[in-house]
Amino acid sequence: MTDAAIYETPTTREVRLQDGAGTLRLGALVYAGIAIVVLLLAATAGIRVIPNLFDLLRGILLARYTGAADTALALVFLMTLVNVSAFLILMVGVTARELWALPALWLLVGLNVAALALLGYTPSLVAIVIAAWAGVQLGRDMRAFRVNPVMLKELRGRMRGVRAFLVLSVYLGLMSSFSMLLYLIYNSLTRASGSAAAGEVGRVLFMGVVGIELLLIIFIAPAFTAGAITGERERQTYDLLRTTLLASPTFVIGKLESALGYILLLLLAGIPLQSLAFIFGGVSEIELILSFVILMVTAVALGTVGIYFSALLQRTLSASVRSYTVIVATMFIGPFVTSIVIDFIIRLLFESGSPLVSPLLETILRYANLLVTSANPITAALNTQALLIERQAVGFWSFTLSSDGSTIPMISPWVLYTIIYLVVSALLVVLAVRRTHQTEF
Amino acid sequence: MYSEQTARVELQPMVDLIIETRDLVKKFGKFTAVDGLSLEVPVGSIYGFVGPNGAGKTTTMRMLTTLTRPTSGEAWVAGHSVTDEPRAVRRSIGYMPDEFGVYDDMRVWEYLDFFAACYDIPENERKRLIVDLLELVDLSHRRDDMVDKLSRGMKQRLSLARTLAHDPAVLILDEPASGLDPRARVEIRELLVELARMGKTIFFSTHILADVSEICTHIGIIEEGQIIAQGSMDAMRSQMQPHREITVTVRDADAAEVVRSLVTPIEGVVSTADLEPKGGRHRVRIDYIGDDDGVASINRALTAANIAVLGFVEETRDLEAMFMRVTKGIVS
Repeated sequence: MTDAAIYETPTTREVRLQDGAGTLRLGALVYAGIAIVVLLLAATAGIRVIPNLFDLLRGILLARYTGAADTALALVFLMTLVNVSAFLILMVGVTARELWALPALWLLVGLNVAALALLGYTPSLVAIVIAAWAGVQLGRDMRAFRVNPVMLKELRGRMRGVRAFLVLSVYLGLMSSFSMLLYLIYNSLTRASGSAAAGEVGRVLFMGVVGIELLLIIFIAPAFTAGAITGERERQTYDLLRTTLLASPTFVIGKLESALGYILLLLLAGIPLQSLAFIFGGVSEIELILSFVILMVTAVALGTVGIYFSALLQRTLSASVRSYTVIVATMFIGPFVTSIVIDFIIRLLFESGSPLVSPLLETILRYANLLVTSANPITAALNTQALLIERQAVGFWSFTLSSDGSTIPMISPWVLYTIIYLVVSALLVVLAVRRTHQTEF
Repeated sequence: MYSEQTARVELQPMVDLIIETRDLVKKFGKFTAVDGLSLEVPVGSIYGFVGPNGAGKTTTMRMLTTLTRPTSGEAWVAGHSVTDEPRAVRRSIGYMPDEFGVYDDMRVWEYLDFFAACYDIPENERKRLIVDLLELVDLSHRRDDMVDKLSRGMKQRLSLARTLAHDPAVLILDEPASGLDPRARVEIRELLVELARMGKTIFFSTHILADVSEICTHIGIIEEGQIIAQGSMDAMRSQMQPHREITVTVRDADAAEVVRSLVTPIEGVVSTADLEPKGGRHRVRIDYIGDDDGVASINRALTAANIAVLGFVEETRDLEAMFMRVTKGIVS
């Protein structure tokens, strides 16, 4: 009798979205596989068992690249990882029915076509096929994609009235006073010593502002998201949402987007302050852009950690505590301690001038050091800046081994940092979605 | 659609039941909240789900709304299994929990807009829908007010409007009238009747008997996780009244004797007894199982035998007495 009886589970739209997301997950898995293979090949090539393997691989994987063959392989590896994270993020976006998912999907196709055409990055073919297939699957129902209702609700609440205006004003006021203070201190110091290097003051101001913003993000990003789901539980609105047709990916992503949207606003508002450095010189646009990328990736990573624990635990307080503990342990203390240990070993081995160290061991140590540096936003930012200033290296540079004088390709930490944390974030979102999806027992 | 229904004929409950549960059990550790509950809610009914606090009403509703999984047993809402097809169930229900979920920093229309969006209603349809819903629950004048500024009664009405956003077949309402002042309670009650007239099935829990007797067409009484009585209100009333007690008052003991001998052979009369005379008058109590016609015929038989009947009274049993009897007096 009732209309409800003719409804099917799932609907055609749900099936289509599931299929699209499934295709994208396949893409992520395939590229994860490719990444592992490339890494193994690079290792094999690195120990030079097979002669000219680097050149051979460059010919196959990145034919149009004119740089060094070993750098080419590093580039292939990174581009593969970028595809992994892109597929993961798109998968999450599609299941959440985000408006940006479809354009981003075609952007991924476009970027891969460009990589194929310009660099001869042959693995793109897989991405082009998979992403285009998903795009065709999903493009048949454009109306499935819409503005995330949870994000809309959260942003409406957050931006309403004078509070948002006040917070932003106070934030900018504090940042400006801080910049001013920094400038005055620096000025008085250099006047005392009488050596004001050109551009130094600009750089100090820039680093000061970015440092404060980083600190701010570390404190507010998990705080915003750790209460996102537990807050609904505590207000007893969670059950209301669960009886609606709101899908858990939409819910989790909506919460994340609203938190990140607000942080993005704070960061954008801070750009004029960072740009103050241009007046004094010493800071390039590329530094501004890279700092922005690092800050935003930090916000995404910390925000998803907060969301994950918010989905996992029942109360906001415990979710916050767990988030901060995990963040401090894995992003700060862990990398710092490891970095000190590796540094110590390197010093011990090389500064004594011992010729006995094998180049292989040194390569492993140098890459381990790179990885550890890239695991932490502060060291990643500082090292990226140092590389920019000392070598004008944005992406890649060659490191000369002290053991035998040969070179290995090195990656600027911001690249690895971005990729690592985007992949981790996408995985955490998937886990959080899975967690909220389960019916409570 | 038909083929689907025949294919599931074993699982599919009768078509005219919109909610059906079979031996539903929910255990929390060692505690059994719902213990073999079997509900039958017909399409289009206003079903009062009555029982003392802690009887398992909310747990049952949480299972019907797919929020909690049953430990064992089965439940169907609008023909969909709550365990196997939760999304189809969610599509056909509007659920109002007993506590109002407050979002601070939200306007009345935004509240409805958000939930309509959660039900996947396109943006261009939502505006019109919100106007209609607000009109239905008489909150049009509070459209732009903040939700937390509303009175409790208004919040409850807004909540009800929210449950209607996706035009569900069933409303599952947990204590919709609790904590309301008398006026607001009457308003909610009228709203429920109005919704039933619009074709919605309303399944609501309560422990206020007045709500039940005024508006319900069906009732189920739950105690300690089990249904102890359910059916239509009319059936329940007559079921509770198979034993009618008729008291006949006459002038003296002889007349009383005549009444007893006259009445005893009548079919349906279980027993007769002399009561203590009151004010010099003799009274006979007749225990009778039968309908109203039978009662009338007893009266006619007495009159035909020329007995001077001073009083012929049937004791009425009201809903409250009925509850006291079936729930052993636990219902508040």
